[in-house]
Amino acid sequence: MLRRGETGEAMRERRRVSSWSASETGLHHPARIEECGTAVRIRREGQSLLIARSGIGQESLRDAVREAARRAGGSPFFKAVRRGSEPARARGSAGSEGDDEPASASLAAALARAVPDPRGLSLSLQIARVEMERAVITPRGFHLCGGNARLEVHGVIGRAEGTRAFSFQSSAPFVESSASFADALAQAIRPAARLSPAEGEVDVVFSPSAAAIFWHETVGHPLEAAAGEGSSVLSRVPGATIGPAGLEVIDDPTRHDLPGSFAHDDEGVVARPVPLIRDGRVSGLLSDRRTAGAQSNGHGRTPDYRRPPRARMSNLVVPPGTAPLHALIEKCGDGIFVTQISAGAADPESGRFVLFVEGADAIRRGKRSSSLTPFALSGEILSTLRHVDSERGDESLPALGLSICVKGGDALPVGGSAPAHLVRRLVARVSRR
Amino acid sequence: MTAPARTPDDGLFEKLLQALRPEGLGPGHGFELYERRGAGLELTEDDDGHRITESRERGFAIRLFRGGRVAFAASGTTGSTGLQEQARLMLPRARSRRGARAPVLIAGETAEARPATEPSLPDESAASELLTTFRRTITAAGEGAVSVREASVSVGTRGERLATSGGRDAAWSTHGAALVATVVGRSSQGRYSARVVATAARAEELPVARLARHAADRVLLPLTGRPALAGRADLLLDSHVAAHLIGRLAPLFFGDQDEALLDARTRQGRDPLTSPVVSVIDDAGAQGGPIRTARDAEGTPRRRSLLIEAGRATGRLTDVAAAARLERPLTGNAVRLSWSDPPRIGVTNFYVDPSPGVSPLDLLAGVSKGIYAAVLLERPEIDLAADRFRLAVAGYTIEKGRAAERISECGISGRLSELLRGIAALGDDLKFVAGAGGGVGSPTLFVPRWKLS
Repeated sequence: MLRRGETGEAMRERRRVSSWSASETGLHHPARIEECGTAVRIRREGQSLLIARSGIGQESLRDAVREAARRAGGSPFFKAVRRGSEPARARGSAGSEGDDEPASASLAAALARAVPDPRGLSLSLQIARVEMERAVITPRGFHLCGGNARLEVHGVIGRAEGTRAFSFQSSAPFVESSASFADALAQAIRPAARLSPAEGEVDVVFSPSAAAIFWHETVGHPLEAAAGEGSSVLSRVPGATIGPAGLEVIDDPTRHDLPGSFAHDDEGVVARPVPLIRDGRVSGLLSDRRTAGAQSNGHGRTPDYRRPPRARMSNLVVPPGTAPLHALIEKCGDGIFVTQISAGAADPESGRFVLFVEGADAIRRGKRSSSLTPFALSGEILSTLRHVDSERGDESLPALGLSICVKGGDALPVGGSAPAHLVRRLVARVSRR
Repeated sequence: MTAPARTPDDGLFEKLLQALRPEGLGPGHGFELYERRGAGLELTEDDDGHRITESRERGFAIRLFRGGRVAFAASGTTGSTGLQEQARLMLPRARSRRGARAPVLIAGETAEARPATEPSLPDESAASELLTTFRRTITAAGEGAVSVREASVSVGTRGERLATSGGRDAAWSTHGAALVATVVGRSSQGRYSARVVATAARAEELPVARLARHAADRVLLPLTGRPALAGRADLLLDSHVAAHLIGRLAPLFFGDQDEALLDARTRQGRDPLTSPVVSVIDDAGAQGGPIRTARDAEGTPRRRSLLIEAGRATGRLTDVAAAARLERPLTGNAVRLSWSDPPRIGVTNFYVDPSPGVSPLDLLAGVSKGIYAAVLLERPEIDLAADRFRLAVAGYTIEKGRAAERISECGISGRLSELLRGIAALGDDLKFVAGAGGGVGSPTLFVPRWKLS
């Protein structure tokens, strides 16, 4: 019932969050939040309208439809669509009402296990168990986007010698996530004698977790469709060979073991894997309805019902190769083994990118040696991809430190899985002491 | 503002408040009930067309207090009647912390007991005019080499009400506006894009022309300049660059959160934190600041707080709990990122006092050989505990008091304490940027003889 030339949909969202702040002494300030909202969106020849209202009841939908109809001047289709079933219960959920107590106890135990001795340590962490349920109503039907439950932790670890950012995310079942969180935190708070890396060009071996963030910045963001033609160094060269033969990079929202998964995107398009790099060539672009219309490949994502969807990554996956990690380190010779990246940024237009490294070891004569202080790695996307070694690690592992990706102010959960990679000729730089 | 207030008050706040009275809650408990009603409009233009986003929301949050324990629950209208029970169930599992209590009436304050204002929808045509002005200004500032890939103006207004077991019952309104743009610079050297942001308390106060000039510099300097040579040079940090640097000091003043760190940086107050020419203030009423509100997230009336006086750390930003723990004045610095977030300590407009400053041109005239850092190319890397920082900037070389060559990239790094104590003079050109969860501001800063990397 949309007018000719118009497309559109309605979206319902329910978000439940149980959160705690944590210090070195334990969990504080429990909080429970439930937020629901409805959005109606209409698109017509480059124009789009989004009306958002609190609540997911009939009244919110009616109010949003009424306002959308008033502004768009059309007769909206939503009345004709029979209300579907309630959104599915989030996968991996530890339940809902009234079951915060076991979650709280489980997290407290995880924290105590990770921090057996808090002397000399200060922690300021925000821990949240997030359950998200979304459904989209299009003229063709009612689509459940798929429940998404995850454990998110971010904050700062302080020691006398400096502070470091900490982030963790897992969409595994809660008990498993808590155990992984404890392991990651125990690893992060371990004190280590640290040296500053030498500044300048350096060869780098990325651990699987760090490699997932490297691919996220250098391939994922540049291949998110944006308004305007050729807005990134990779989208300007479709089909070009930009990396070693055999390199495959796929954005896969159907990997339900990773935090960026969904069944339908936030515009009701069925999720599907999209190969971005195939055999070293640029082979795809992530699109939504605004950038590709009916040809959208199901990557229209929004952080919440109030924001319009945009073409964004879900889970960036690189299949494993055959080289064991020690073989890559040996092949590197002298360089750096990066284990943890706290943040990254890329300018797809110029191709410049920077990765902020929190955890790394020096590599000397093909062996891991002393730990290094935090530093930044930068490069230019096209030249860096040319320097990716054709051999890659034999295990593709989920990135626990890759959690929320912020682009254009919109924060979304994303995932990644990659094997270790050797990348030559990146540039290291240090904040001198 | 165009659209009139629509929904009459439905008495839901009063109903929730009634249920929270001691007879419904049990002895020894304190409570805080909060309601927010918001309306926002965002107009976005890009190469493919334009988007209008209009939203209305309403949410409730409850905090229960007992013996230093706090539990928080929040929900929209539908689930609001269950909030009290959720918070009550969580309360025994919270850890006790000294100072946690429900806000009380302060001297001279009276309970207002009036409903939160239903916010009106902001004016769409005014937002459209701002975008047109921004496009026109950036075309001129970039001399045709800069285009706008996407620009959006968002304008919002909200009505808030808060009532506590301590007798506080207050309602107030706040407004905010932001202009966000992704701009692209083109030259024979290639392309460069950047996202720039300006925020203000009202749409008509958005610094559109300043943002356009800044955006043009942000994308053209990296393309048209040359990398700076390493060595010692005098530094002039533009107010944009300086504001982001100064803003990163804000957590040092968040109650007792980083007290040990502040003590370590100042040797328990024996050393200054910055040069004596620097005083830092937090003030929700600061001229030009993007935050303007009568009360904080706990309903405490806002006040001006002097945090660094002539280089020495003197004040702290407090909420009710931190003020009680530190036995310091209540400064009204509790903030809520949204109605569904628990209050925490944050800044309003956190800025370097420009009153002892001179004209930036006078600062420039005094530099014989130096660098003018006009824009930040990346987020600043600042580690307060390790006392180190790194800024990646672009700008101009200065020779004999005049701007000379363009600089595409320059690293400024070293000990943060040395930089802050080395500030020799200030400009009088205070400007604010969005940062530290509020507004952060600084005038141009002059630091002589800094080693560039």
